[in-house]
Amino acid sequence: MRNALVVDLDRCSGCFSCEVACKMENGIALGSYYNKVLTVGPFGEFPKLSQYFLPVACQQCENAPCVHVCPTGASYRDPDTNVVLVDKAKCIGCKYCMMACPYGVRSWNQEEKVVEKCTLCGHLTSNGELPACVHNCPGGARFYGDLDDPSSDVSKALAAAEPDAVHTLTDVGNAPATSYILSKRYAEWQDSSTLQGAGRYLQKKGE
Amino acid sequence: MEIQWSLVLFTVLTGGAGWALGCVAVDEFTQKTKNDTNFIAAIVAIVLAAVGGIASVTHLSHPENMLAALSHPTSGIFTEALLVGLTAVFALVYVILLKRNAAASARKLFAVLAAVFGIVLAFASGASYMMDAQTAWNTPLLPLAYGGTTMPLGVAVYLAVALAKHEEGMGQYFMLLLVGGAVAAITGLFYGVATGVASQEPLLMWGLVVAVGGVVPAVCGWLGRKMPPSALALAGVAAGASFAGCVALRCAMWATSAVVNNFFGML
Repeated sequence: MRNALVVDLDRCSGCFSCEVACKMENGIALGSYYNKVLTVGPFGEFPKLSQYFLPVACQQCENAPCVHVCPTGASYRDPDTNVVLVDKAKCIGCKYCMMACPYGVRSWNQEEKVVEKCTLCGHLTSNGELPACVHNCPGGARFYGDLDDPSSDVSKALAAAEPDAVHTLTDVGNAPATSYILSKRYAEWQDSSTLQGAGRYLQKKGE
Repeated sequence: MEIQWSLVLFTVLTGGAGWALGCVAVDEFTQKTKNDTNFIAAIVAIVLAAVGGIASVTHLSHPENMLAALSHPTSGIFTEALLVGLTAVFALVYVILLKRNAAASARKLFAVLAAVFGIVLAFASGASYMMDAQTAWNTPLLPLAYGGTTMPLGVAVYLAVALAKHEEGMGQYFMLLLVGGAVAAITGLFYGVATGVASQEPLLMWGLVVAVGGVVPAVCGWLGRKMPPSALALAGVAAGASFAGCVALRCAMWATSAVVNNFFGML
């Protein structure tokens, strides 16, 4: 079993519903995130400019560096769901997992002094419901399910996508399991390692 | 990323302790010192390692959960904790053997064990930062620089203790200080240039790591090789300069931390 998300950027309007729903569902403090919507671009030569929205969360890496570096096993892979999780009771607050995450998608809980991250709403999915970000996406751009199950929503979404429209964030050996669908007719996918910027706005390096 | 001062102190102090214990082990075989120098030097090394260990704990929010590390004994932090513990225990046994006038072979054995684990720790504490996500850290040159820059510190600390105890004939340790300074300058320089850290933090890398932390101890080693009256002062200067160089290297490392993406802006 490989539970993960697929995000169809062709359908994403950058409305922030997934981010807001995530924060409400998981009680996330101001300034912290489990899921954050970024804007990539605009890039290209005028008048042919492109831009797309990029919601980012834990990528559920198959070779998760956060799990490898955690000294106490607080960052672990759930043996039943294969989801990467944080056991706060074991976290010593060393932040090595935050340093090791290639995408900086782990949050520091100031109140509890522990690291947190997207749980794929395990408290909902264990009851047969969808993660809050998926359930509340008005564009139907987010899919959740088992990548090993051909009948799951994620497998169907990937099967329906054009092969050259399926992307992942830059892989530095961590094998991110989250996929993004972005067709060239909307925008050219930008390798995430070529992006820079602060806050919510990312540009290609050098632009 | 913010400079993690707890970890800076941890890696500098434990690295220096490891190399100082290395000098103790060398002296167990060469028998250059006579006046309780190795006893005091080993105590100083144990104190440095203990202070470093305590410093590392201060950056943890929940050190009470540290025992859970036993469930994941392959992480860098566990390895470091194990090496600090083994170094301190072997050094402590050595000190007890020394005080009880135990057999030379037993003293040599534990002096070497403490030195080996201590010096390995000096490098291993840098290896913990080798992560695919960290583009400026993910190179074997980083642990080499971590271990290399602490070499003159440990040798200078040992020399300072020996000269304070009025030891004579420490010329070979000044030559070791010369080598240590060169090693510190070269390993620091290689890391800085290969990763681009030297161009991002030129003052820290060229000024403090290479010049102050490498060249100054090397010059002190050269000047002290014939044991001039200022030998103790030279050892003190070398220790201070090495400490500054070690701290500068680690500060430069933290200051130039760069992950592939920092989407949440938490680093």
